[in-house]
Amino acid sequence: MDNSAALPTLKKSKKEIHAGRILGKIVLYLILLMGALIFIFPFFWMISNSLMTLGETITRQLLPKVPQWINYKEAWDQANFSKYFVNSVLITLGTLTGLLFTSILAGYAFGRIDFKGKNILFGIFLATMMIPESVTLIPNYLLIRGNVIPLPGGTWINTYWALTIPFMANAFSIFLLRQFFAQIPDELWDAARIDGCDHLRFLIQIVMPISKAPIMTVLLFGFTASWNAFQWPLLVTTRDTWRPLMVGLYGFVQEAGPYTHWLMAGAVITIIPILIVYFLTQKQFTQGIATTGLKG
Amino acid sequence: MAENTVTHQSHRKTLKLIKLQEQLTGYLFILPALIVILIFGIFPIGYSIYMSLFNWQVTKGPFIGDKNYLLIFGSWWNLLVLVTGLGLIILGYFVWGKAFQSVSKGGRLARIAGALVLVLGGVIFVTGWGMMYETGNKDFLNSLIVTIYYALGTVPAEIILGLVLAYILYQDIIGKEAFRMIYFLPYITPSISTAVVFQIIFSSRETSLANRLIGFFGIDPLKWRFEPKPVLRLLGINVSGLADGPSLALLTIIIFGIWSFVGYNTVIFLSGLGNIPKEIYEAAEIDGGSKWDRFWHITIPMISPVTFYLTLIGFIGTFKAFNHIYVMRTPSAQNSVVTTSLLVFDRFYKANQYGVATAQAIVLFIIILGLTLAQNKIMGERVFYG
Repeated sequence: MDNSAALPTLKKSKKEIHAGRILGKIVLYLILLMGALIFIFPFFWMISNSLMTLGETITRQLLPKVPQWINYKEAWDQANFSKYFVNSVLITLGTLTGLLFTSILAGYAFGRIDFKGKNILFGIFLATMMIPESVTLIPNYLLIRGNVIPLPGGTWINTYWALTIPFMANAFSIFLLRQFFAQIPDELWDAARIDGCDHLRFLIQIVMPISKAPIMTVLLFGFTASWNAFQWPLLVTTRDTWRPLMVGLYGFVQEAGPYTHWLMAGAVITIIPILIVYFLTQKQFTQGIATTGLKG
Repeated sequence: MAENTVTHQSHRKTLKLIKLQEQLTGYLFILPALIVILIFGIFPIGYSIYMSLFNWQVTKGPFIGDKNYLLIFGSWWNLLVLVTGLGLIILGYFVWGKAFQSVSKGGRLARIAGALVLVLGGVIFVTGWGMMYETGNKDFLNSLIVTIYYALGTVPAEIILGLVLAYILYQDIIGKEAFRMIYFLPYITPSISTAVVFQIIFSSRETSLANRLIGFFGIDPLKWRFEPKPVLRLLGINVSGLADGPSLALLTIIIFGIWSFVGYNTVIFLSGLGNIPKEIYEAAEIDGGSKWDRFWHITIPMISPVTFYLTLIGFIGTFKAFNHIYVMRTPSAQNSVVTTSLLVFDRFYKANQYGVATAQAIVLFIIILGLTLAQNKIMGERVFYG
């Protein structure tokens, strides 16, 4: 950038260039700020409306005169969120446990073990990322309802299993971990093998501790996918028993219609856990997708 | 000597054993993931095809063969005409493209031939579409058009905005991390929750934010999410027929789509920009290229693999999109916002026509596959790999 200083034959004086640069910078910052404003505004609007009285939401004030914190309590109670919130937490925890288990093992096998048909299997796994949910949805629904093969307990509609098991493995997580595991130097494995290590022990004692970053990325993506899931839970929950927050919010939107302040309070409640996790881990998060660059 | 061969043999035996053990461990390790993916990811494709051959409404009915597909296309003949047209378009495109590369005398002739084939293909394709529209499932064909409007409305805008923001962020910017974090926010927050805010912002009330905003420019309040009329017609441009463009309701959903996905593209572009060697820029600077020149002649070609990837992911994503469209649609917008994935869901969830729905889903899947292949071929050739 500072090469220009070394070229005395430039027509413009240094001062002019300097002024031009500052002006350019200001324009860039203005664009960035405008972008940030557009991205942030709906969130601001959500929070500000969630603290208004009903009257204020109708007259479209920008900010509430007195923040109505009671809206949150009212929305929470009316929308039965205490039930849905716990459901969502348990579903997410269960899904993530299963997801980590399957994808760490499979990622390791695809990255570090030689076995027959490995490449073909990996290709098939990757191809599943292209399949639209529209195709898998209906057969999976019948499967969960117990219409295809007999299931223990008859049907899995309205059960915990229906909401967790189908999401306990995905090609994206396996791919992400495989990429990282494959880069671990072979010397580490050779040394471990001489000490009598088998693959499982090597994976648990050596590979996993040095793979915290990619495992974290898998966890974060798994978390958002599970927490934000809507279509499938809508299909397989007909009662409150295991209905997650997003389906609950959707139902609340249908019922609470014109009560904007409650709707917004409800929406804020559903976003808060995601925001907390995102702010705590945003570095891994953005770096995670930047390094893999793969997500639909 | 003899001893040597014995140890050699036992060595080979243990080596074989180790290799066998490796194989077993490999299979064992992928088994849990394989089971889940096989059951919930791969089996459904086969089962969908199976279901689509029956008159399946909640429970399995009689075998009806290709009837569910005929409901979509009207007749196989229609499909044949359509596919022939499509094939000719592709053929024409290639002849045309190849002709431009060759400088020989035959080049011009080939170019004319290519153009002719292209036009012919277009005519046949449109004819096939018309025939299909006449006797096939209008709702399904409409949903395809809506999906294409949605895809064309979101993907290019997301790519351009993402690249611009990433390019600016890539300069020496104070607060780069903060900007990146903010841009990415809409992508990770649940679309059901953010769509609710957009419903409020784009409500049909006169005092809604969107209406007040256009009020500044002297435009009368609009019905936004509730408006099934095409945007072009609202602007006073009357285009009748198939090409009348997206409805205002769909445009509202497109705006939401762009808002929520630009940040993802920005982050990916940003990492792509980081991979472009600094020396190239420095060389260009010495040669005296302006900033704009550098962006146009270095950044754009060097970033093209990322652009290609994001376009592909974007298009597949729009064909799969469901949640936010489902939440943001209104009854009064009618089918002007019903994309194919929503149509399939309605057929299945509301109308209980499982057989029809699976047939439609499979056609959608084939379209996505075809689109992916075509994009691979067309864009893949133009992508510049380092």
